[in-house]
Amino acid sequence: MRKFTFFVVCIMVLSLTVVCFAETPKYGGVWKDALQQNPPYLDPAMATDTTSAEIDYQIFETLVENDTEGDLVPLLAESWEVNGDATEVVFHLRKGVKFHAATEGGVPTANGGREVTAHDWVWTFNYICDPATNSPRAYFVEFIKGYQEYMDGKVDSLAGVSALDDYTLKFELSQKFAPFVSVLAYNTFVVLPREDVEKWDENWNFHPVGTGPFTFEYWNQDDKIYLSKNENYWGKDDNGNPLPYMDALEFRIIEDYSVMWEEFKVENLYQTYVDDPYYLEAKETYADSFFERPQLGTFYFGMNMELPPFKDNKPLRQAMNYAINRELLNELVLNNRQTPASGILPPGMFGYNPDLKGYNYDPAKARELLKEAGYPNGLEITLQYNTSTFNARIAEALQAQYAQIGIKVNLENLEWGTHLDTTANGEVPFFRMAWVCDYNDPDNFLYVLLHSENKGAKGNYTRYHNPIFDMLTARARRESDPNIRKELYQEAEAIIVDEAPMVFIYHHTTDSLIQPYVQNYVLPSFGQYSNKFTKVWLDI
Amino acid sequence: MVTYILRRLLGAIPVVIGVILVVFILTTIVPGDPALIMQGQRGDPQTIERIRNEMGLNDPLHIQLLNFYKSVFTFNLGRSYTNNMTVVQAIMERLPYTFGLAFLAMLFAVIFGVLFGIISATKQYSSYDYIVMVISLLGISAPAFFVGIICILVFIVWLRWIPGTGTGNGELVYVILPAVTLGARLLALIARLTRSAMLEVIRQDYITTARAKGLPDLIVVFKHALKNAMIPVVTIIGLQTAEVMGGVIITERIFGWPGVGRLSINAVTRRDFPVIRGVVLFMALIFILANILVDISYGFFDPRIRYD
Repeated sequence: MRKFTFFVVCIMVLSLTVVCFAETPKYGGVWKDALQQNPPYLDPAMATDTTSAEIDYQIFETLVENDTEGDLVPLLAESWEVNGDATEVVFHLRKGVKFHAATEGGVPTANGGREVTAHDWVWTFNYICDPATNSPRAYFVEFIKGYQEYMDGKVDSLAGVSALDDYTLKFELSQKFAPFVSVLAYNTFVVLPREDVEKWDENWNFHPVGTGPFTFEYWNQDDKIYLSKNENYWGKDDNGNPLPYMDALEFRIIEDYSVMWEEFKVENLYQTYVDDPYYLEAKETYADSFFERPQLGTFYFGMNMELPPFKDNKPLRQAMNYAINRELLNELVLNNRQTPASGILPPGMFGYNPDLKGYNYDPAKARELLKEAGYPNGLEITLQYNTSTFNARIAEALQAQYAQIGIKVNLENLEWGTHLDTTANGEVPFFRMAWVCDYNDPDNFLYVLLHSENKGAKGNYTRYHNPIFDMLTARARRESDPNIRKELYQEAEAIIVDEAPMVFIYHHTTDSLIQPYVQNYVLPSFGQYSNKFTKVWLDI
Repeated sequence: MVTYILRRLLGAIPVVIGVILVVFILTTIVPGDPALIMQGQRGDPQTIERIRNEMGLNDPLHIQLLNFYKSVFTFNLGRSYTNNMTVVQAIMERLPYTFGLAFLAMLFAVIFGVLFGIISATKQYSSYDYIVMVISLLGISAPAFFVGIICILVFIVWLRWIPGTGTGNGELVYVILPAVTLGARLLALIARLTRSAMLEVIRQDYITTARAKGLPDLIVVFKHALKNAMIPVVTIIGLQTAEVMGGVIITERIFGWPGVGRLSINAVTRRDFPVIRGVVLFMALIFILANILVDISYGFFDPRIRYD
């Protein structure tokens, strides 16, 4: 019996030791990753695309961030307070946060690695909103008091941003805007060191300096971007150990998914996207390290509400929705990787209505509506999409499904620039589009994509206009009570589903295939591109 | 010779002016607003308009054209719309990669193409001849993206002889597969052309005479026959320079090679007019220079050719 007890104790001690060792993060190693295109901008004020954002997330930091579940959590702000009528937000800043002291092979930065204060935030917001900067996303914070006057050159600075002291930052808004704090998690609104921005001036984009866990080393255009560990990073893990764990991050630019896949297989990459042809093999071979989860995005086909045949023809638009078998489309064309959509808001987003009654597949009802719409013998329309094999597959499946109810769909593919231009200008009756949110709030879907103020380039490509919907979404963005906001957004979405300015296809899924020895990796709900590698380590 | 070169260079000026005009017209009529593309899917109309003004896109066309000519002749091609880098810097950063790759591809194609062509011609209708001809037929037929992917699969994934795509840390081994992919078609063309030219030359009387004098086969082939057979080969090499520069676009994409080809494709998709214009101008200059070099080299292979 004594021997047995001894044996059990030994096993337990051994198991605990193994568990402890397995969970002790290892320092060192170089993360090897791939980007699908050369990022246009590392200057966060200019970056709008996901590849630029993926790098910026490592170098720069915002006041608040979305954690891997998409919830808003503090980053460089420790806490914040919103006043009673939601027109003032005061951030209490984290102390001891320093700008990068050295960059590009150890060259000292112009800021010298000094501490970040509220005055840096004031300068940064003035820089981003300066019309000379031409920041594409400055208008996300258009409700900061004095924004328009500053943009119009009538005043020298933004009236609504001020430093109450070194560690207290205050925003004053010209009107209530409930998603304001969520917007500040967007990758444009990071703190910048004035000295370095001014030093590099027009070439600042190629010499980024921030506060993030990794510092910029070099960027060989179209080849690779290399970042190294910020030795003075403020972050600590749960045991008080300094972060990050890895010595460096290497992002190679590989445009071809098949090449990415082959490079992953020979372990030249630690993470990759998985394109459809390799999906089943990836799931089978890397069952424990292939992650998938819903992403806050929606794929749809827009119907222009100002052009025939969809203008003033709700039965036709509804018929277009009833004619689609989304489940079959998902199974046959999309490897069952996506979530068929009932409406526009994706699962996981605040305000998402799981009980929303969308359009089930009902060809008989579609034919009936087609008759009611004035097309008893069907009709012929052209679907425009931006050129890609993926889009072509979906468009062809749609073409086949519409043919079954007598709608002849001609397919026209154009490259992205032309597609975006013609769609934004309202020239295309039926078009493919998708939206992945900038910030986790229904405002970023419903207001952006469908409010009449945003017709055209600002996001409302269907040119939808409904005064009741406009009123609901405008009210929701000013409402601070979450329950009322939720009701308003659900009511607004129900109107959209009924009016059907879009054929709702699916909600996005994000995926990431990583090597089995990558530890502490969590795929963020915003998508793989929003990875932060601060706590990731390599068990090699 | 110097006068000839100068005359050819002067003759290139109207060509360059014409190229500028064509590039300008093409980039002007193509749909797609660069300011809108820069802004992405949620663009602010006020910012878009301001960017259009700053880029000069709202100027009348003749003013835009004049500004373009001025920028070319002052060697200031402006800055990229996409990332604000100067166009000259963007091209110069990628130039060594593209030149290096194109040079190695052509070197590979010329050495092996000529060699295979000679073997084929001197051993006509032998199994060597058939093998070379079949390989060259495959080389001509197979597109670069196919050859590239096969090379990656065989040499990187299966055999693991090459560490990967991209540029590594500058090791030469990384250029082998892109160079082979880019040079494969040219190699096949040169092999076939060398074979037919050699077959014609080795049947001529002076070759029979050389053999009758007891000269070794190697001397007869390489000194007497090959030199005369090279004129059509050199011509095709010159003409194929443009194709190699075009092939660079696909090859660079497959192998993640950071050259001018990828720069140009990205510039086209983003309507980065200054970069598109810069790259096309640069490609045109390369083509003009390559043709001048080919014309000059004729004199080396055939001393009867004069530059009057």
